[in-house]
Amino acid sequence: MVESLLAVAVDSGVSSPLLVDFPYGRGAVWNIVYVSLYVSLIAVALSSLFGLTVAMLVGFNDFPGRSFVIALINTGMGFPSVVVGLVVLFAVSSEGPLGQIGFTLVFTREAMILSQFVLAAPVITGISLAAVIDVDDGVRDAAYAMGGTRLDVALTTVRQARYGIITGILAGLGRAISEVGSVLIVGGNIEGQTRTLTTAIQLEARQGRFEFALILGAILVALVLLINGLLLKVGGGRV
Amino acid sequence: MMKGRYENGNVTETGRLALAGVSHGFDGTDVLDDISLGVNPGEALAIIGPSGTGKTTLLRLVSMFDRPDEGTVEFDGTDVWTLSERERLDIRRRVGMVFQEANLFDGTVHRNVRYPLGIRQSWPDRIRNWLSGLGRRKANPVVTEHLQLVGLEDDQFRPASSLSGGEAQRVAFARALSSAPEFLLLDEPTSDLDPRNTAILEDAIDAARSRGLGVVLATHDMHQAERVADRTAVMLEGRIIECGPTEQVFTDPEDPRARKFIDGELIY
Repeated sequence: MVESLLAVAVDSGVSSPLLVDFPYGRGAVWNIVYVSLYVSLIAVALSSLFGLTVAMLVGFNDFPGRSFVIALINTGMGFPSVVVGLVVLFAVSSEGPLGQIGFTLVFTREAMILSQFVLAAPVITGISLAAVIDVDDGVRDAAYAMGGTRLDVALTTVRQARYGIITGILAGLGRAISEVGSVLIVGGNIEGQTRTLTTAIQLEARQGRFEFALILGAILVALVLLINGLLLKVGGGRV
Repeated sequence: MMKGRYENGNVTETGRLALAGVSHGFDGTDVLDDISLGVNPGEALAIIGPSGTGKTTLLRLVSMFDRPDEGTVEFDGTDVWTLSERERLDIRRRVGMVFQEANLFDGTVHRNVRYPLGIRQSWPDRIRNWLSGLGRRKANPVVTEHLQLVGLEDDQFRPASSLSGGEAQRVAFARALSSAPEFLLLDEPTSDLDPRNTAILEDAIDAARSRGLGVVLATHDMHQAERVADRTAVMLEGRIIECGPTEQVFTDPEDPRARKFIDGELIY
């Protein structure tokens, strides 16, 4: 439906009553959707890899400072996105630590992935860790007693904790794809390059094109619903 | 059947799977004190004693969850903790264990019972069998055979979460046996079960022993030890104070504390 609305607006060459001052061609809208998905899905995939590894290491091992690490992860879940954007912008600028070793990434998709990674990783790690810790010790003991290796025990625990882990990934995805502050700062909202659904919505709303902002918002909500539905299916409908 | 001999006030016995001079504790508290005890294939050894006397700790050491503070855990005369992790894994896979709780995994009864078979495959085989569904089909006869032993062969595809406590414990028993271990450790396996489920499990224990398995049963139920075990060890305050043929231990124990415990006069 959204596509037909856009098609009407683009093909007719005039403003429809619904889409006042329609600013983009169809290709530009797809590009915005593509950039949003590209940045958020890569960031969430990397965050999941990192978060699950940390959750297993912290959840399975007792070591000095473990409580501090858990507190740090939980604190990270509430990082303000604008602050994260500022820190990442500095890190990837020519004067920042990454910029000085050749990773000058200001106003690039890679910088946006990095900032979304910083935002999503603590959420995925924290919720996954809680799910892993929540698995009964008896289950791990049983896997070990059946002749399981450490990897077998870890995989069995992950399987037992999968609903919590999927919830964590969903929460991380929600944080990443709906985030506007940090991607605006590190990406610069460059049309065709770093413009995402959220930064485009912000721009359109500021310029008074509320109808178009609402359509982009509807696309964003539909995408999140679609991805949640897919993960729900994978999780057996219990998430 | 050899009667245990006393050394330093502790009964010492040996076997193919054995503890030799094992002492162990947690947080500065001694739980086991100089235990030497063994079991051979085809025999059932019961360890009886009041709750909190160290029976579970003893079984966890035999099952190689933890390394003893002192002494050795031996398989065929070899200290298992001098072996590499890979070699120890091979021995661990010859010793099954059933806990007081069933500790079943999510999924069906079938998945639980075939679990030990799956983790014994190489990773390429596991992935190939998982993708083709061959692993499940290959496991069918083994799963059915072991579920028959506990009378649950018609419940293979029930979710484990839908089982009663007694049924779950019977599935846990079938799971422990499905990979054909040489020894089976049972930690109070029937303490929460009704008489019917207890009888089914005791029959299954008897059947397993008849097939040549060595069974170690930790229990505070003295009547169960009498029904199931060839030999019985009485454990008190982290020490084995009496060990011998079950009938002899129950009718004519040498240690006066063992006699009091068996007569129900030693209350903890």
